[in-house]
Amino acid sequence: MSVPDLSVEIAGLHLRNPVMPASGCFGFGREYARFYPLNQLGAVVTKAVTLEPRLGNPTPRVAEAGGGMLNAIGLANPGVRHVAAVELPWLAKQGVPVIVNAAGQTKDEYVEVVRIISASGLANAVELNVSCPNVKAGGISFGVSPQVLEDLVCSVRKVCSLPLFVKLSPNVTDIRQIALAAQAGGADGLTLINTLIGMQIDIRRRRPVLANKTGGLSGPAVKPVAVRMVYEVTQVVGIPVIGMGGIYSGEDAVEFIMAGASAVMVGTANFTDPFACPRIIAEIAQFMQEHGIGSLAEIRGCIA
Amino acid sequence: MLLTVTDTARIAHGIWQLTLTGTFPYDTVQPGQFLMIRIGAGLEHVLRRPVSIAAVTEDSLAIVFRVVGKGTQWLSERKAGDGLDVLGPLGTGFPLPPAKARVLIVGGGIGAPPLYFLAERVQPLSDRLDVALGFQTQADSFWVDRFAVLGNLKLATDDGSLGLKGTVIDAVESLAADGLKWDYVYACGPIPMLKVVKQCFASQEVQGYVSLEERMACGVGACYGCVCQTGGGSGTRRVCADGPVFDWNGVVL
Ligand SMILES: Cc1cc2nc3c(=O)[nH]c(=O)nc-3n(C[C@H](O)[C@H](O)[C@H](O)COP(=O)(O)OP(=O)(O)OC[C@H]3O[C@@H](n4cnc5c(N)ncnc54)[C@H](O)[C@@H]3O)c2cc1C
Ligand SMILES: Cc1cc2nc3c(=O)[nH]c(=O)nc-3n(C[C@H](O)[C@H](O)[C@H](O)COP(=O)(O)O)c2cc1C
Ligand code: FES
Repeated sequence: MSVPDLSVEIAGLHLRNPVMPASGCFGFGREYARFYPLNQLGAVVTKAVTLEPRLGNPTPRVAEAGGGMLNAIGLANPGVRHVAAVELPWLAKQGVPVIVNAAGQTKDEYVEVVRIISASGLANAVELNVSCPNVKAGGISFGVSPQVLEDLVCSVRKVCSLPLFVKLSPNVTDIRQIALAAQAGGADGLTLINTLIGMQIDIRRRRPVLANKTGGLSGPAVKPVAVRMVYEVTQVVGIPVIGMGGIYSGEDAVEFIMAGASAVMVGTANFTDPFACPRIIAEIAQFMQEHGIGSLAEIRGCIA
Repeated sequence: MLLTVTDTARIAHGIWQLTLTGTFPYDTVQPGQFLMIRIGAGLEHVLRRPVSIAAVTEDSLAIVFRVVGKGTQWLSERKAGDGLDVLGPLGTGFPLPPAKARVLIVGGGIGAPPLYFLAERVQPLSDRLDVALGFQTQADSFWVDRFAVLGNLKLATDDGSLGLKGTVIDAVESLAADGLKWDYVYACGPIPMLKVVKQCFASQEVQGYVSLEERMACGVGACYGCVCQTGGGSGTRRVCADGPVFDWNGVVL
């Protein structure tokens, strides 16, 4: 049969295929451009960008955890002005849509970061990372309260002329309520899941492995949780969902698409295999060919 | 890239050497650079392990590692003929000294392997090469004969079973007591050791370099997992990409 069509339209973005690196696992693209041209990807997603430069947490910041990893990077980044002046102009020349992941500690900070990204003219979409602690609410993450989240998305929406994705935290009681709140606030799409908070203890030294004590769990270990959440969310929202969590192969990606995702992001797999994204793209095409699937729309959310 | 194990050996207590061959930029790899090695074929181990390149020939390279956990245990179980999925060479290695420089190389325990590759490259350039190595006991020591061929070697062990009784710092002090002076000092080992080595030369005109270790995820500079602090403590550098070798005045030890 003919070559399968991997392209997808999401929230006004045209992607040549549904695979993009997940935020924080791909820097600002430069390091992986040494391995392959970035225009092979559906899009590039930057690491989290905050208003001011952030040095991040003390080390150790990463640890392996049976079939996954923990990280507590602490949003280390050079600040939105530097990113807009140095990283985005380079990324904009790579021939691939650019999604900037925006983070903040207050609503005002999110709004200002998104305003600068949107005004730069160098990004194609914004992904709001709402797993960050809200300093004005005692450090509770923005992404756990439907009211707080809807208000945040609504405020950001006003300054954002680009497609706006909200990246959901899985550390909540009912992710559907959160997803609906983001939709009500004006999100054009959702991305999920961010990392699950975990902890690992060095029993010989009797202390946590990570300097931050806790960190976010990602990788194959979280995949069933992520698939379940993508399924639950796509059952209730009317906006497109980009799924992620432990995707290592084309078959994993197909699983998310069958759960209801329009596209996928690949995080931890880049560390295990720097060629993970292009390999997964080829494997999706191969699966489609082998199973007579002409386009991704044929299988999206197809499970009975 | 996929390299092939051609030889394996237990060379000291808990310490293994693997020789690898296959397509690799043997002619351009720098001493101090490292590999990120995939552990196992499945998905249990999602993070590669950083291991220094210890020696290079025109068609092979050697790594030397201590078994400390699951990853290094798995590595020690490799057999000749097995494939090894490695990423590299990675990182910024040791800048070589100018011709005729007087050089001191200081290694503590499992910090020694990258220094052997360095010593091989420094030896033809320098007027004087001294090497101070410290191990816990003789049973932990390795490649002593190989280092001894390249320069004047001073050894120390905690129990005195090989060389001086004491630490590698005692070995450095003993060399200095012979009236030796150096223009370049290179060190690799535990952070407390690196700190003391730097202190030893605080009042001298010495160019010092240290190789640092930090837990890594990507190994290529993308994840910011492996940072160390810059001199004034005002910024960070990535050990995997900006290092692992740093000017010792540029980083907080
Ligand atoms: C640039 C660099 C070069 C190195 N070169 C050598 C070498 O030539 N020979 C050698 O024996 N060791 C070397 N190390 C240390 C080596 O990486 C660790 O001993 C190894 O990763 C331990 O893995 P494990 O699975 O056996 O241990 P575990 O403790 O089970 O590992 C768990 C996790 O922690 C990480 N980790 C544990 N200890 C260290 C450490 N000291 N440094 C960095 N990550 C660590 C592992 O990579 C893994 O992700 C080097 C480290 C760095 C950063
Ligand atoms: C080292 C690391 C850094 C991350 N940084 C960010 C970040 O800056 N912003 C964000 O929204 N998510 C971040 N994430 C979460 C990932 O984007 C992704 O949601 C998560 O890792 C699950 O996907 P995976 O299992 O494919 O890694 C990070 C994950 C890792 C492992
Ligand atoms: S290990 Fe990812 S930046 Fe160094």
